[in-house]
Amino acid sequence: MSKTIKSKRWQQMKTAYTFIGIPVILFTVFTFIPIIFAFVISFFDWNLLIPEKTFIGLGNYFEVFQDEVFLIAVKNTALYTVIVVPIQTILSLFLAFLMNQKLPGRTFFRTAFYIPAITSSVVTSIIFVWIYSKPGLLNYLLSMVGIDGTDWLTNPSTALFAIMALTIWSTSGYFMITFLAGLQNIPKSVYEAAAIDGASTWTQFWKITVPMVRPVTFFVVVLGLIGCFQVFDQIYVMSGGGPVNATTTMSYFVYNNSFKFFRLGYGAAAAIVLAAIIFVATWLQKKYFPSNPYQ
Amino acid sequence: MVNTFKKISLFSLFSLLISCGGFKDDEMRLSSWVSSPQETDLFEATLQEFRNLNPDIPFDFEPIPGNYSEKLQLMLGTNTAPDVFFLKGMISPSYMSFGILRDLSEDIATDPSFDSEDFYPALLEAFQKDGGQYGIPKDFSPYVLFYNKEMFREAGIDSLPSNWQELEAAATALTKDLDGDGETDQFGLVIEPVLEMIMPFVYQNGGYFQNPDGSLGITDEPFIEAVEFYHGLYRKGIATIPTDVGQGWNGDTFGRGKAAMALSGGWLLPFLKENYPDMDWGVAELPAGKQKATIAFTTAYAMPKAPNYPEDAWKLVSYLGGKEGMKKWTSQGLALPSRRSVAEENGFYEDPVFGVMMRSIEYARPFQIQFSERGFEEAVVGVQSMFFTDKSPRQSMLDIASRIEKYKLKK
Repeated sequence: MSKTIKSKRWQQMKTAYTFIGIPVILFTVFTFIPIIFAFVISFFDWNLLIPEKTFIGLGNYFEVFQDEVFLIAVKNTALYTVIVVPIQTILSLFLAFLMNQKLPGRTFFRTAFYIPAITSSVVTSIIFVWIYSKPGLLNYLLSMVGIDGTDWLTNPSTALFAIMALTIWSTSGYFMITFLAGLQNIPKSVYEAAAIDGASTWTQFWKITVPMVRPVTFFVVVLGLIGCFQVFDQIYVMSGGGPVNATTTMSYFVYNNSFKFFRLGYGAAAAIVLAAIIFVATWLQKKYFPSNPYQ
Repeated sequence: MVNTFKKISLFSLFSLLISCGGFKDDEMRLSSWVSSPQETDLFEATLQEFRNLNPDIPFDFEPIPGNYSEKLQLMLGTNTAPDVFFLKGMISPSYMSFGILRDLSEDIATDPSFDSEDFYPALLEAFQKDGGQYGIPKDFSPYVLFYNKEMFREAGIDSLPSNWQELEAAATALTKDLDGDGETDQFGLVIEPVLEMIMPFVYQNGGYFQNPDGSLGITDEPFIEAVEFYHGLYRKGIATIPTDVGQGWNGDTFGRGKAAMALSGGWLLPFLKENYPDMDWGVAELPAGKQKATIAFTTAYAMPKAPNYPEDAWKLVSYLGGKEGMKKWTSQGLALPSRRSVAEENGFYEDPVFGVMMRSIEYARPFQIQFSERGFEEAVVGVQSMFFTDKSPRQSMLDIASRIEKYKLKK
């Protein structure tokens, strides 16, 4: 009797490990090994095209922190994150709250807000290049209210903000869905009790919705942070890091140095610094803004 | 059931392993980038001709549709590069300094039918280092002046600008506010905030990006004067840049009639023919400064240091870069021949458009610098800073000089 249970258990385990095994192998080959490899080559003067790879210890790290463009990239990335994450989180929560009400046509609005999230970022970027151009839609709309707009993407003081606006527009819908799922988990009875006590919709939002979706907020902020720190495709398509490095972000810097300037080791060092920053930011967030403060 | 899982997992493991393994090509490979369908068709036809002549040399043509230099770099680094590939003249100095290209001078010397004297010297020089020849120029295109004949007639200009003063005067006369709303609708000239387009003016003024002795020339007076002239055309409002009028590049601005003149090369010809067939345009040699000068863009056939099929690869290069292959490739004027004899045979010297370009090559120079790509990028930023911020050309050049200096290529 016990033998059959044991063998059955063994059978199940084999099945389970087979299922886990395939993705683990894939992850190992395409993620873990490259990560370790990147870490290793960051200590080398590793030019893909030159056979001699010299070990230079922390040389790349010393250089990267003295590189003016890298420091600009860190500043741009930080600014980008600090502005985009709060706005996209608040906006998507607000949208989700609205979409959770019994409004006429809410299916239409839910779809409309979600469409940017499922559209390819390259496509939206190209469309926004036209919108932001000097004779583009944005300046046309501004001219109706008597404002003479600039060329948003070649003006160093507006280019980064223009790209931030695009990101906020395209990710808010995506995170709205996440928040919607969180909102549906809040028991109706809590709202009913609050309504009986005479709480307004606004009070309900602040006193019930916001605290109750806190785990979802945590998730959204973490994903938002990581996404912002890694922003690349919009920059690549819309501005190429320019003008005058105004939109050079850390991942764009990594890309440029690794694949355009042939310096893989240097690029890897910058990537490790980026990874460290993301790690610290997430850890700080987990420490000071835990997902469930009542635990 | 369990057996099936076993099979699946074994199978996926197996396919993963074989796809990781190295492979040896059984055929010579040739790679190019992809620019336009017309060019691809013409190149395929040229290759077919080689196949007919050499049925015993099989090869694979593998065009790379996007991110050409990134992919080529990866293949060169992992010893999987094609036996013959296209190499841009602008990046050849760094490729040559890395020592990853095959020196073709021996192949040239032992091939009696390959007459290297026939090439325009400036184009061969773009792929030379320490007496080695690391590429065979396949074609070229110089910057020339495109002008809109109708706008010239309307403005009453009957002679083409031949020096900087005349260029500025013509641009001023051609700059017009057509609908009277106080904003310019037609500019005299369209320029781009890029270094390549400034360089003809620098050379005309006797300056250099990099002096013949190797030092950086961007803070020398001739360089700064040329940049100030170029940038001044924009600041005076008689020249525009494509993004100011909502376009991606100067060819489009010129084609749409937003500017009467543009600096461009051969790549603009099929674009204008295709998109603006009714437009009446002409080309002229660039106006001269202290001397005549322009820059020529060129591309070469090159080989990795250790190709799999060196003899066959040279036969292919010798055909494509030889008189016959080049004649076929340049027959439609999509690209200009880098051999004088082919240009003469094609009748390009008599052609009103190609003739201008062929005359330009006599004083054209390739634009190459002995700095890494990062150094070039810093220069790009310097040029952007004077167009997109209030920084003066002189200050911009002074600011980037020390930053570029760091990225000099090692000998």
